[in-house]
Amino acid sequence: MNRKLMVALGLAGVFALAVTGCASAAPKASGPVTITYSNFISNAGNEKNLDKIVAAFEKKNPNITVTVKTLPYDSYGTALQTDLAAGTPADVFDINGPSSYGPLQANGVLAELKAVPSAKYNKALLDSYATDGKQYALPTSFSDVVLYYNKDLFDKAGLKYPTSSWTWKDETAAAQKLTNKAAGVWGDHQPVTYNEYYKALVQNGASFLSKNGKKAAFNTPAGIEAAKWLVGKSGTTMPTVADGQGTADFDTNLFKAGKLAMLHTGIWVFGSFADTPANWDIAVEPGNTTTASAVFSNGIGVSATSKHPAEAQKWAEFMSSSDEEVSVRLDAGWELPTISDTAKLNSYLTKGKPANRQAVFDAAKKIAPAPSIGDNQSAMQDAITGELVEAQAGRESVEQALTNAEKKINTLLAG
Amino acid sequence: MSVSVAQTALLDKEPQFRHAIPTRDGRTARNRARYTFTVLAFLLPSAIPLLLFVLGPMVAAAWVSLHKWNLLAPMQWVGLGNYAKLLTDPITGDVFVHTIYYIAGYLPLVYFGGLALALALNTALKGRSILRGIYFLPVVTSWIVVALVWRWLLSPTSGIVNTVLAAVGIHGPGWWTDPHWAMPAIIVASSWKDLGFVMVILLAGLQAIPTELYDASKVDGAGWWRRLFSVTLPLLSPSTFFVIVISLINGFQVFDQVYAMTGGGPNGASEVVVQQIYDLTFRYGRAGEASALSWMLFAVVLAVTVIQVRGQRRWVTYG
Amino acid sequence: MAEALLTARTPARRTVGRAPRSREAKLRLAGVIVLHLVIIVGAIAMFFPFLWTIITSITPGASLTTTPALIPKNPSLGAYQRLFVERPFGQVILNSFLLAVITTAVQLVTSSTAAYAFSRLPFRGQNVVFGVYLATMMIPLQVLIVPLFVELKAFGLLDTYLGALLPTFATAFGIFLLRQAINQVPRELDEAATIDGAGHFRIFTGIILPNIRPAIATLVVFAFMGSWNSFLWPLVVLRSPELQTLPIALAGLQGQYTSQWDVIMAGSVVSVLPMLALYVFAQKYVIQGVASSGIK
Repeated sequence: MNRKLMVALGLAGVFALAVTGCASAAPKASGPVTITYSNFISNAGNEKNLDKIVAAFEKKNPNITVTVKTLPYDSYGTALQTDLAAGTPADVFDINGPSSYGPLQANGVLAELKAVPSAKYNKALLDSYATDGKQYALPTSFSDVVLYYNKDLFDKAGLKYPTSSWTWKDETAAAQKLTNKAAGVWGDHQPVTYNEYYKALVQNGASFLSKNGKKAAFNTPAGIEAAKWLVGKSGTTMPTVADGQGTADFDTNLFKAGKLAMLHTGIWVFGSFADTPANWDIAVEPGNTTTASAVFSNGIGVSATSKHPAEAQKWAEFMSSSDEEVSVRLDAGWELPTISDTAKLNSYLTKGKPANRQAVFDAAKKIAPAPSIGDNQSAMQDAITGELVEAQAGRESVEQALTNAEKKINTLLAG
Repeated sequence: MSVSVAQTALLDKEPQFRHAIPTRDGRTARNRARYTFTVLAFLLPSAIPLLLFVLGPMVAAAWVSLHKWNLLAPMQWVGLGNYAKLLTDPITGDVFVHTIYYIAGYLPLVYFGGLALALALNTALKGRSILRGIYFLPVVTSWIVVALVWRWLLSPTSGIVNTVLAAVGIHGPGWWTDPHWAMPAIIVASSWKDLGFVMVILLAGLQAIPTELYDASKVDGAGWWRRLFSVTLPLLSPSTFFVIVISLINGFQVFDQVYAMTGGGPNGASEVVVQQIYDLTFRYGRAGEASALSWMLFAVVLAVTVIQVRGQRRWVTYG
Repeated sequence: MAEALLTARTPARRTVGRAPRSREAKLRLAGVIVLHLVIIVGAIAMFFPFLWTIITSITPGASLTTTPALIPKNPSLGAYQRLFVERPFGQVILNSFLLAVITTAVQLVTSSTAAYAFSRLPFRGQNVVFGVYLATMMIPLQVLIVPLFVELKAFGLLDTYLGALLPTFATAFGIFLLRQAINQVPRELDEAATIDGAGHFRIFTGIILPNIRPAIATLVVFAFMGSWNSFLWPLVVLRSPELQTLPIALAGLQGQYTSQWDVIMAGSVVSVLPMLALYVFAQKYVIQGVASSGIK
C-alpha cells in the first residue's frame, strides 16, 4: 500500500512541476516553420472556407505552415483551459469574444501584438481586444443584433414599418396591436438574458457596472425600467417560458411560420430565413433614451509561450484583416469581416434578403459595450440571467430579482 | 488524502472471504512465493492502469484542492481554505440536496422498473430479443437527443404529457420551467433512459439461475410470488447489489442529463454537485474549489458505499 | 399476470388444449394478453424518441420546436450524404470503432483477471484493495481531466491513440460486475478441478470464464458503449482531425449560433445503430451460452 501511495504522490509532484513550470519562448532563426491554430469559428459548416484562407496564407508565406485544429464550439473553452493549464496551447487560438479575452489577458497567457496595422480594423472592435493601450488579440469577425420584422403582419395591421428612429414606446405600441393570442400570433420576441439586459441598460442611459467596474450599477430606476422592458413582454406581447420561449430555435421558427411580427436576434439567421415565404426586413434596434446595439465578435490571439511569435502574429493578422479572408467570408456569408474599409464590404449590401442590410453596419456604429470582469465573468452572467428568468416567470418582482442579482454580483466583484 | 486509509474499514467483513482464508499452513516458502506471484499476475493488469491513470490524478486533485487556481496563473497555497469556503457557501448545500433528491427519485424508479422489465423479458415472450433491443435503445442514445425529446414531451403548454393529463382533468405542471418540477422532469427522463441498463444487468443475473431450482420449487407447489421471493430474488441478489451500488455511485455524479435538460435551471433549482464542479473548473476559474468539492463528494459516496457493503451480508447470497 | 409470467417461462409445462377450460386457465390467458399489451406499449414509448430522430434526420431543414410530421413532406437522405461526403464521417466511425474494440478487448482481460483474484485468490488486505478499486469510480472525471492531461503530456502521449486508450484499460465497473458473477459460480466446481490437478490459470480459463458468459457479454456491451460514447477525454487528448472520434464529430455539428438539426440527427442515428446491433448480437450469445453450458 505504502509503495502505491508513494507512486501516487510522485505523480502529484510531476503534475505540480508541470503546472508551475513554464516554457520559455526562444525565437528561432528563419527557416520552414509550422504553427498550430486552434479554432472553433470554422466548426459546423465553414471548415472548407477556413482551408481556403490557410491555403492563401501559405502561398504568400511559403516558409510557414499552418496546422489547423478545429474543436466543437460548445467544448472549445474546456479544451482551451486544459491546454493552458498544461502549457500546451496552440501558437494561435480563437477567443470567444471580449468576455473571454478579459480573463485570458489578465492571466498573462496572451502575447502582446506589436505594430498591428490598426488602421485596417474597425476601431471599436479592435479596442475591445486591447488592454491599457496594448493590443493582445485581434477581432476576426463580428455579428450584431437587429430588429427583424414581418412586413405582411405589419401591412395587415395597417402599421408603419420600424425605422431607426423608433423608441421602446413605438415598439411596445406596435407589438400590442400586432399580438393576436387567439390566432397564435405574437407581436414581439426578445430573449430575457444577460446579453439583452446589458444592452437595454445602455439603451436607457444606464450601465451594468459602476464606472470603476467594482460594483453592480443596474439596481437603479433606469435599470429597473430596462428590466421591466424585457420581462414585461413575456405573456403580453411575447410567448411565455411555459409556451417554449427561450428554447433553441423557438423564436426563429415562430418568425418563419409567420406567427411573430418582431424579433430581436443576430444577423446569423439571415441564411435560415432566406427561403421563408413571408416578406421580412430588418432595422436597427430601438432604444429608449439612446440607440445602442449588441455586437458579438470573435477574436484571435497568440500564445505567450509560442516559439514562433512573429509567424503566429502574421497568421493572426492575415486571419483577421487580409483581402483573402475578407472575400472568403463575404462570399460564404460567414459572419462579417472586422475591417474598416467599408468599400470592400459593399458587395455585402446587395447580397439579397434582407433589403436593409445597411442596418447591419449602422447598428455596429453605436455599440453597447459589454461589461468585462475577468475570472468571474461567467458566474456574473449566470447570476443575472437566473434572476431575470425568475422575474419573467413571476416568481419574483423585478425589484427583488435585481436586488438579489446585485448582491450576488457584488460578492463576485469583491473576489 | 489517502484513499487506502479511508478505505481500511470498508470491506473487511464481507462474507465470501471469511470461509476461504488461504490454506498456507504447512506450505513451503516456495509455495507461498508462487501464490503471491499468482495473485500479482491476476491483479497487476488492472492495478497498474488504475494506479497510474485514476488514483494518480485523484491524488493530484487533492493537491490542487489545497490551492487557489484558475488553471491559467500559477497555483497559490491556501491550505484548507477551499474546504472552509465551500462549507460556508450556501450553494454547496443546495447542490448536495438537489443531487440526493435526484437519487431518491431515480433509484427506486429505475430499479423496480428495470426488475419488472427483466422478469417480463426473461419469459418466452414472442419477439423478446427485438423487444430487448428496443428497451435498450434509450441507453445508447445520446443525452443531447434524449433531452430534446423529453423537453418536447414535457413542454408545459403543448407537450404530450400535459395534454394527456388535461384530458383526465389534471392541470399539468410547468416541468423543467418550474423550480419545483425541474428535478422531477430530470428524474423521469433519466429513469426512462436507464431502465434498459438495469434490465441488461438483471437479465444476465437471471440467466445464471439454474432452472432446476424453479422446477424443484414448483414440485413443492410454490406459486409465482413465492418463487419470486424464495428463488429469484435471493439468487439475483448479487446482481441487485451491483446495480444499487453502481446506480448510487453514478447517481451522485449525475451531470449530463441536467446539463442537457435544464442547464441547472431555472435559476439554479436543479443544479447538481458535478455541474458545480464543472462550472467551477472550466467556467468560473476556480479549479481549487472544484477539486475540494470533488473530494467532499468522494467522502459522501464512500460513506454510502461502505454502509451498503456492510449491510450486504444481511441480504446478498452468493452461490 | 403473475401466473402468466410463470407459465410463459416454462412453456413445456403448459397444459394446452385441455377440453373444459378452467377459471385458472382463462386467468392465465388474460394475464398473457395484458403482459403483452403492457410490454408493447412500453416498447413504443421506448422506441418513439428514436423514431423522432430518424424522421428529423430525413426532413431537410428540420427544426426542433415544431412537432415533427410523422411522414415528412420532402423526405431526403441528403443529411446522410452530407455526413459522409462533405464530412469525414467514414473515417471518424472507423476511428471510434478501432478504439472501442481495443478498449473492450483489454478491459475483458483486466476485468476478468482482477475479478478472479478478488473472488478466488484470498490475500491479506484484499478487502482494502477492492475498496480502493471501487473508490476509483467515486471522483468525477471533470476534475481528473487536467491532472491526467498533464501526466500524459509528461509521457509524451498527447494527441495519440495510446494516450486516449490508456486511461480506459481498467475499470472498477467491469471488475465489480465480473466479481459478482464469479461469486455466483459454485466453488465445488473449482474444488473438483483442483483435485484433478488444475492450477489457477486453468480453473480461470476452463471453469470460471465459460460459466460467466452472460456477465462477459454484458461487459462487452458496456465497455464498447463507454468507449463509443466517451466525449470529454478524447476531446482534450486527441486534436488532429485524422484521429477524431464520433461523439466529437457529432458535437462539431452544432455551431456557435445555428445548428443543422437534420444532419445532427442523421449523425445520431449513425452512432446508435452499431451499438444496437452489438447488443442484439450479445443477447443472442447470452442465451446460447446458457443453453450450451454444461453445468446447469
